[in-house]
Amino acid sequence: MTRMMTAIGALLIAGTAQAQDGDALLAMSWDEIVETARGGEVNIFMWGGADTINAYVSDYIGGILADEYDITLNRVPLADTAEAVNIVLGEVEAGAGMDDGAVDMIWINGENFRTMKQGDLVWCGYVDKLPNASLVDFENPAIANDFGVPVEGCEVPWSRVQFAFAHDTARTPEPPRSIPELLDWIEANPGRFTYPAPPDFTGAAFVRHVFTHAAGGADALVGPFDQEKFDAVAADTWEILNGIEPHLWREGVTYPTSITQLQQMFANQEVDLFFTYDPAEIGTAVENGIFPETAMSYGLSDGTLANTNYMAIPVNAANKAAALVTQNLLLSGEAQLEKAQPEIWGAAAVIEPSRASAEVQEGFATLERHPSVVPVEELGQAALPELTPDWTRAIEDGWIRNVGN
Amino acid sequence: MAGSATSAIEVIGRGHPWLSLAPALCVIAVLFGGGLVLGLAGSFGMGRGGAGVDAWIAVLSEGRVWRSLGLSLWIAFASTALACLIGLGAALLLRRRFPGQGLARLLFQINLTIPHAVGALGILWLLSQSGFVSRLSAGAGLIDGPAGFPALTQDRFAIGIIAHYVWKEVPFIGLILLANMQSLGDDPESAARSLGASPFAAMRLVLLPLLMPALIRAGAIVFAFSFGAWEVPVLLGQSAPVALPVLAWQRFTDPDLATRPEAMAIAMLIALVAALLIRVAMVRR
Repeated sequence: MTRMMTAIGALLIAGTAQAQDGDALLAMSWDEIVETARGGEVNIFMWGGADTINAYVSDYIGGILADEYDITLNRVPLADTAEAVNIVLGEVEAGAGMDDGAVDMIWINGENFRTMKQGDLVWCGYVDKLPNASLVDFENPAIANDFGVPVEGCEVPWSRVQFAFAHDTARTPEPPRSIPELLDWIEANPGRFTYPAPPDFTGAAFVRHVFTHAAGGADALVGPFDQEKFDAVAADTWEILNGIEPHLWREGVTYPTSITQLQQMFANQEVDLFFTYDPAEIGTAVENGIFPETAMSYGLSDGTLANTNYMAIPVNAANKAAALVTQNLLLSGEAQLEKAQPEIWGAAAVIEPSRASAEVQEGFATLERHPSVVPVEELGQAALPELTPDWTRAIEDGWIRNVGN
Repeated sequence: MAGSATSAIEVIGRGHPWLSLAPALCVIAVLFGGGLVLGLAGSFGMGRGGAGVDAWIAVLSEGRVWRSLGLSLWIAFASTALACLIGLGAALLLRRRFPGQGLARLLFQINLTIPHAVGALGILWLLSQSGFVSRLSAGAGLIDGPAGFPALTQDRFAIGIIAHYVWKEVPFIGLILLANMQSLGDDPESAARSLGASPFAAMRLVLLPLLMPALIRAGAIVFAFSFGAWEVPVLLGQSAPVALPVLAWQRFTDPDLATRPEAMAIAMLIALVAALLIRVAMVRR
């Protein structure tokens, strides 16, 4: 209900905003764009489940926007990014004017991005305009492709994350450190492991780890969707997952429905292992007293999935100039460094520190990390590329039909 | 009144009932009816280039949808039946005069103001396997650990969901019945007693039939709510099958746009089934 209210509120706000034509903006110089944006506002729709992230965007980014550009940042929290895609889709379908949409920016990646790109719902071709885009290595395939979908100037990278597991060193000193080890561990420790049921994002990512293992490694799954290959690998995957089911929490009769629920269960010692797509979260949970200080995140020897997340501007955004200024700010060396501070958020930077100012480089070099968070470099030694949305969708549907029913 | 100036409202008030109802009906027609029409159009894929019954065929031929429908019907029937029964019993007890009656009534009604989501979280803290009752039992040595506690939330029989709805709706039913009894007064029962009926017979043969219309109306509201609400089953439900509203929401937030019409079709199905069942209950009276 509150979500609906905020969405409706944002719609009303947007209705009064001055419309901006995207093509006209692209013909302007950066200084002209900044002048156009001055005194305006920007409505950012983003997953709102972490206080640290919310504070970083509202206070730090919002503060700079207000002080330096006189731009008001409205952060609209979402439980699911698809909600924002729905709003844009509804507006475009309803044939509303192309430049008065309620959503100016969405924190996005993967399937939602593909949906927007395929539906021509996302604004493209402005990335060269952003001065700070020069800090990003767009040649890096991990940045140029969003879950296997070519970005092609339709979104701007923001952070990089890599999947990690977590255990309590006091309770489980020797956690399983690869998928095969985990499968054995589950059998040896009945009732002490479970994963959120897809379509939960993190639960689906866990299933993809098992799928990648069943395929014999990530290399076997590179490239476009292949039904024959999928059928073969999927059969093995469902066999593995149905095989461990009797040894899961509640004998696998039911699964947690969200990653938040699994976090609670790990905190309550109902299960012994936790996992997350954002290892910085483990440090935050320890700081907040949700997890004990002995909680520790770790990677797998056979690799964990890694992805980049982005900020996209809908094609019908009302405040495109302010959105561009915001995107440029998000990419600045200072903002990326602030975001990487463990007590702020602890999110891995998407820029090349070597291209930033000496001060920022120094900052990154001396960055402290929370003792419970596995170092980015250590995780990065075994990073698996994300599968394309065709694969992830087929795996999710297959899990629901064959395992989770 | 004669001779004095009459206000516009009084004129409308004296006019045709439809005229005086018009403002309220407009709000219902635009906000509620408009949403229903748009949802129905969406379920036929309108506004998405094509129009057809594909989504309805997909939804109605899918086993998961029927399992979800079954679960939602079970939740709604069980919650309504228990809430009506307990609410009726409580109302009969509370209408008597006894010391501290005011306080008892206040305590009885106090949870009416608590939002459903808050109540559901309370149930979770109380009844889940790592909840308060489980820890208490473990502390008292009744069970070995959290896993030894029976699964009362995220469970196969939706016990947590039903417990929440009963807890929340008993005061609602009770309140409506108490108000109803107050307007009926003691006269019908007294008359029956003076004609020789036992207290129980007077209640069963005189009071209950008089209360029945109110009980059925209140029950219909509880049924429609517990059948169509999303927040309680999403917090307390198991992963499969999910309640029908949860399934509709999953389809609606699916990144694949093709599932939007299915989400709308499921939402329409919820409205249709609830309306049909309530209609049947009302007519059978």
